[in-house]
Amino acid sequence: MESLIAQTAERIFADHVDKALLDRAEAPAAGAFPDALWRTVQDSGLHLVGRPDSGSELGDLFGLLKVAGRHALPMPLAEVLVANAVLPDVPDGAGFTTIAVDGVAPWARAANRVLDLDGALHVSFTVEPGANIAGEPRDSVHAGQTVAVAVPSELPLYMALSRTSLMSGALERTMEMSVSYAMERAQFGRPIAKFQAIQHNLALLAGEVAAAVRACDGAIEALGTNGADNQIAAAKARVGEAAGVVAEIAHQVHGAFGFTHEHSLHHYTRRLLAWRDEYGREHEWQERLGRRAAARGADQLWDFITRGQ
Amino acid sequence: MSVELRFDPVELPPETQALRAEVRDFVAREMPRESWPNSDFNEGHSPEFSRKLGARGWIGMTWPKAYGGGERSFFERYVVTEELLAAGAPVSAHWIADRQSGPLLLRYGTEAQRRRYLPRIAAGECYFSIGMSEPDSGSDLASVRTRADRVDGGWLVNGAKIWTTDAHRNHHIIALVRTAPVGENRHAGLSQLLIDLDADGVTVRPIKNMAGGEDFNEVVFEDCLVPEEALIGEAGNGWAQVTSELGYERSGPERFLSAFRVFVEFVRHVGADPAPDAAALIGKLASHLMTLRKMSISVAGMLQGGRSPTVEAALVKSVGNDFEKLLPELVRLQTSALPSDHPLQRSLSQTLLHAPSFTIRGGTREILRGVIARGLGLR
Ligand SMILES: Cc1cc2nc3c(=O)[nH]c(=O)nc-3n(C[C@H](O)[C@H](O)[C@H](O)COP(=O)(O)OP(=O)(O)OC[C@H]3O[C@@H](n4cnc5c(N)ncnc54)[C@H](O)[C@@H]3O)c2cc1C
Repeated sequence: MESLIAQTAERIFADHVDKALLDRAEAPAAGAFPDALWRTVQDSGLHLVGRPDSGSELGDLFGLLKVAGRHALPMPLAEVLVANAVLPDVPDGAGFTTIAVDGVAPWARAANRVLDLDGALHVSFTVEPGANIAGEPRDSVHAGQTVAVAVPSELPLYMALSRTSLMSGALERTMEMSVSYAMERAQFGRPIAKFQAIQHNLALLAGEVAAAVRACDGAIEALGTNGADNQIAAAKARVGEAAGVVAEIAHQVHGAFGFTHEHSLHHYTRRLLAWRDEYGREHEWQERLGRRAAARGADQLWDFITRGQ
Repeated sequence: MSVELRFDPVELPPETQALRAEVRDFVAREMPRESWPNSDFNEGHSPEFSRKLGARGWIGMTWPKAYGGGERSFFERYVVTEELLAAGAPVSAHWIADRQSGPLLLRYGTEAQRRRYLPRIAAGECYFSIGMSEPDSGSDLASVRTRADRVDGGWLVNGAKIWTTDAHRNHHIIALVRTAPVGENRHAGLSQLLIDLDADGVTVRPIKNMAGGEDFNEVVFEDCLVPEEALIGEAGNGWAQVTSELGYERSGPERFLSAFRVFVEFVRHVGADPAPDAAALIGKLASHLMTLRKMSISVAGMLQGGRSPTVEAALVKSVGNDFEKLLPELVRLQTSALPSDHPLQRSLSQTLLHAPSFTIRGGTREILRGVIARGLGLR
């Protein structure tokens, strides 16, 4: 059963996000912030999901990001939600806070505040526009006035899990698009889905998607438990691996049509390629996880796997 | 359109924690000294160890008590099986009977068959072989030609099975045979017979594998007379019966743990403070294993709920087999050549020589991908 939050989000995002909106939001076009969508999100209260006083939990926040990923949502919902959850004292209604890593923040151009991972909150700043390979705004931030705020030490983990959740949603969408396309596209007098080579590639894709979704959900379920950091590390790494494989197969199945700007596939696959890099590539998380496993030693390896710590 | 491949979030229930500790403790004490730990369920044969497991109630765990079972959950069974495999314990003697033959008898067997075989399987003293494949019938299982003709007092069986694991040391075989000529529907006319491997008219010839082991066999039936009551389920229903077991056969931890001991020895070899690339490899393998466990436990949850998750099971086996083949390759590239008696090299050599079988036994990679493609609605 999908949660009520996920259902609401699904309805709103499906209503608002179409190819035209995505094109307007992405570089090299203007990178225009989707104001109408943002207002609707605020009206629905979705932007407060996961905030301590909202009646929802952190798990709901990441569940909501899976839905955002399914729609390639062209706004910094991950940053908005996490910032709201970790800075409950910032009053609602005063624009939004984005989150910077190494001086670069999604959609800083439209934000009112920028939070650094170490707790520096920039309340005035200037912006140099930039973008990731998905064309999503990733702006360089030059701080003006800054205040220090208390942020939980888990903040970088939450951001990694945000990308994991976004990827998980985008992976499901990419699979659905690929399966549908294979059934619609005909060559040699039959749908390409009837060719065994296509079936096998899609089976491989489905295995990666299933593993990724399960890994991501497992990390979300682990929030608040002792092993959460390792589950998140494992999920970011595993889902990042799946992202590369799935994007590759999806494009192969879509042929030249999928390589065009006009087709929507790239809105998802380019994000997969971008998100697997953000907040730590696979290798980085693998090394962290591997160090902890190695420190437990060979005879405790299985215990580490089963308990996640 | 929506593609429904569900791996519901499932947590192992708390009562499995104590059980896990019991199994670990048991293995630490009872693992035969002479046995080199190997996580491949096909390797390591010890009737003595199997009987001890039976005595602990760890075989036939989910079956009714009336038949020697423990009426425990699929989660508890999951924990016991994964602990045994991870430790590299010798489990091949009872494995097939516990996983497959017992549940088949429970579902389709006569009351007499259940009473006769299940308690002895659960005690760890009665072992079964799977008699499906034939020289000319591998992936295309419905094409089997071994036939059983009705005669006075039973069935007369003629034909040959092949790749029959442990037929040279097991007690019984459940053979898929043709009991009616091939008609319009090639899945019709097949039946399952429970045959004693030491019966007259049965010849078992070991076949050496490329690793030098003698695990699988050719089993030839020449005018082998089996009694009426050897029939399992209904005559002609064999196809439905063999395919009903796939959820059990394909989703378990044996489908992704075969190479696990290589991982353990690698971690031992690189030590507590490994170089960055070695650490990253450990993390990569751990992230895959943690994920596969979650998927497999999710399927255990579906089995517990009475569902038969054929496609999800094929997904676990497919992703899992690819992983257990990749593991030794990646470890190999992170180590320089070692002496052949080094523990890591020993596990590595053993696993590399058995790896070709991982994506063949229990349904080939290509057949599984076909099952998944059907689940996606592509065929
Ligand atoms: C170690 C081991 C133990 C075994 N133990 C048992 C046992 O105890 N009992 C038992 O009955 N069997 C057992 N088997 C046999 C196993 O089930 C078969 O090997 C398997 O079903 C494949 O059959 P095959 O080897 O004849 O290969 P084939 O079916 O001839 O396949 C050869 C190749 O062709 C591919 N192929 C076949 N059909 C298709 C298709 N439609 N589309 C695409 N590709 C296709 C296969 O994927 C494979 O790559 C065991 C096998 C091994 C390796």
